[in-house]
Amino acid sequence: MKSLLIACLAALPLLAAPQQFHLNLDSVAAKASDHVEVSLNASTLQFAAKFLDSSDPDEAKVKKLIVGIEGIYVRHFEFKSAGAWSEADLEPIRAQLRGPEWSKIVGFASSEDGENAEIWLRTVDKKPAGVAIIATEAKEVTVVNIAGSIDLESLAELGGHFGVPKVNPPDKPHKDE
Amino acid sequence: MDWLEDELRRALARQESPDGFADRVLARSGRGSSGARRWLAAAAMVVVAAGAGGAWRQHEGNEAKQEVMLAMRLASAPVHRIQSEVRGMTQ
Repeated sequence: MKSLLIACLAALPLLAAPQQFHLNLDSVAAKASDHVEVSLNASTLQFAAKFLDSSDPDEAKVKKLIVGIEGIYVRHFEFKSAGAWSEADLEPIRAQLRGPEWSKIVGFASSEDGENAEIWLRTVDKKPAGVAIIATEAKEVTVVNIAGSIDLESLAELGGHFGVPKVNPPDKPHKDE
Repeated sequence: MDWLEDELRRALARQESPDGFADRVLARSGRGSSGARRWLAAAAMVVVAAGAGGAWRQHEGNEAKQEVMLAMRLASAPVHRIQSEVRGMTQ
């Protein structure tokens, strides 16, 4: 099982698709002190890729990683106090992931710090077609949908390079959905 | 030498220009310089527009790049966390 989990984190050639589920998180947003919304479709990703500097290690990795991604949609919420959000707030997302195309491939839950993370894979015609990521902490909720082809192993490596993400919200969110 | 003096006097004698000649010359010269000015203005506008378009494209590109980097930071952190947990379990 463990080797299967690692295998699932290896390169996953995913097929192209637009946003694959509704990120209807209004109840979470209402309770959050800060939130970041990023919605990037394929054309915006391709446009951005032209401005990524290959001589910068992180940007070079991202440039390589986004080849084949058809869209990336992120909602990140931060709360002033623990317990400000509940699992019920994520139910609209989980309900969609219970559909036949989605299957949870890996996840972990830490009882110590209340940290949870899970990765869901969408398959269409027996082929991987997208990824959903739900990550929660006492004061943070992150939901991600990546449509298209992405190498999860490389994405994980990128997370190691970036370390703890610093959230600098853009002036205005992109709405390319 | 009288014939030569007569010829020179005749050749160099002041002659009045035809009616409206001066106006026609002034009108033509004015039209020419106005056209040149228009071309110069148009060329300058094209250069300015191209420069502004390039600067705007650069600005938009940098904005898009920042959003991609932010999205990747937020998406990669939990995947890295899961990978670390799974590797920790298997070792």
